[in-house]
Amino acid sequence: MKTAENEPTPDELAAMAYADGELDEAARRAFEARMANSPGLAREVTHYRRLHALAARAAPIEPMDVEWRRLARDPLQRGLTALGWSLAAVGCAALAVGGCWMLAQCALPAWAKWGCGALLGASVLLFAAALRARMRTRPYDPYTEIQR
Amino acid sequence: MDSVPGRNIVKVLGLARGNTVRARHVGRDIGAFLKNLVGGEIVEYTKLLAESREQALDRMIADARERGADAVVGMRFATSEIASGASEFLAYGTAVKLAPEGPSDTVR
Repeated sequence: MKTAENEPTPDELAAMAYADGELDEAARRAFEARMANSPGLAREVTHYRRLHALAARAAPIEPMDVEWRRLARDPLQRGLTALGWSLAAVGCAALAVGGCWMLAQCALPAWAKWGCGALLGASVLLFAAALRARMRTRPYDPYTEIQR
Repeated sequence: MDSVPGRNIVKVLGLARGNTVRARHVGRDIGAFLKNLVGGEIVEYTKLLAESREQALDRMIADARERGADAVVGMRFATSEIASGASEFLAYGTAVKLAPEGPSDTVR
């Protein structure tokens, strides 16, 4: 039977099965007899055993991770996200400007207007302080790189 | 694990603990809210819990080292939500001094 170029040869398959301990007693003895006269076959077995040890130590890559990375590069996904956030930013800015204008125009007494204005101003200043503190401490936060 | 194979606990140094409360920023919270609508893993919060877990664990280890401990046995994690979208993680265990396994295994 002619094997395709990328398919393992019968010898490679036998070496894999031997390295994985999948052969029965008779087949194992027969393979060991062949291996004794074939350095190439012995090298194959060593190679698969090393590969097995390496695979046992490596954390498996979740198929979902591959798709997450692909999605992060996908132009449509990036476009949808960028457009969504841009619209949200425009909406927030419009509400903030409109809210301040309405506050200035409404029929509330001056002390209420100034009170609301002071509260809004305080929120902005305190948020700016919290953001500044976070930006300053973030480089010293080693936990931001952890994914799961 | 409540013991260390091949070693005896010769002294109990007390409770070693570390905790933290962490949150993701509001953008991630909005993303997480939207993912909540469609189901599946909310990676924003997976990351949040993983960050909290590692920080609490590191603080517990630092606390144990400060006490001169060789190991922490009976280690546990506890979690709670302290505010909406913020996770508290507590790692705690018993800090102990160890000695090679032998007849003099009295715990003081």
